[in-house]
Amino acid sequence: MIFGSMKMIMIGVMVAGLAGAGAYVYKLKADNATLKANQIKLESAVSEQKQLIENQKKDFDSILQANKDMNKLINVLKKDFEDLDKRFNKGNRDIGKVAIEKSKVIERIINKGGDNAARCLEIASGSPLTDKEKSATKKSEINQECPSIANPNYVQY
Amino acid sequence: MYNTKDKTHRLAWIIAVPLMLCLFLSGCGSVKKLEIFKQEVPRENLNLEKPTPLEMEKIKWHIITSENADEVFKKLEADGIDPVLFGLTDKDFEMLAKNFAKIRNQLKVQNDLIDQYKEYYESEEVKDE
Repeated sequence: MIFGSMKMIMIGVMVAGLAGAGAYVYKLKADNATLKANQIKLESAVSEQKQLIENQKKDFDSILQANKDMNKLINVLKKDFEDLDKRFNKGNRDIGKVAIEKSKVIERIINKGGDNAARCLEIASGSPLTDKEKSATKKSEINQECPSIANPNYVQY
Repeated sequence: MYNTKDKTHRLAWIIAVPLMLCLFLSGCGSVKKLEIFKQEVPRENLNLEKPTPLEMEKIKWHIITSENADEVFKKLEADGIDPVLFGLTDKDFEMLAKNFAKIRNQLKVQNDLIDQYKEYYESEEVKDE
């Protein structure tokens, strides 16, 4: 009788142990699946982060390039402006006195300059360059008012 | 002294209790699922059309001195133009030319700035992302 109840307890313990082990293995499997899913997510996150860093690098490069381009543009425009000032005042030149002496010549020069300046405004507002403007390389061919934006192939000599 | 029955009974409890304790404790802890925050959907591009480039009117300048004034006015009358001129001194003309150059430079910078912003924020590469 006592031996029989002991046997029952032992069997009960063993069954409980087996059930517990089974449950534990089941839980381990579930954990393993979760870990695998986490691993995939982590790998995906790492890949996304790498892509993000790559994009950030590209953005920084673009920002640097844009700043360089803007500084370059500001400098060439400044140079154009200085050239305009020189044209009026080069070597103590007095445009008024020259105009009194050579009215017709100065009138022609002023009108040509005015046309060029108007064309410069058009270009500055986004008007596309003509083939003639693009191909100008000589001083006689360029727009003297704004060669930096009107004649990209002209190199000052 | 313990008899065989007690020994077996004790042994059973010695094995069963830690085993069940382990199972219960391991059952409490579990691996948490990761939560990853996804990137926000970017705003739509503004895509405003750039304004039409300027088309300037042609202007004719007249140089008038005390000597050629009569000749200039007579020519205006002969061409059917009102004999009146809005004048600038040589210094004022210089200032006008410089003012125009400043406006032109500013226009060019602003225009290029818009292009740069557009290229940076609305380039094809950004759209594809």
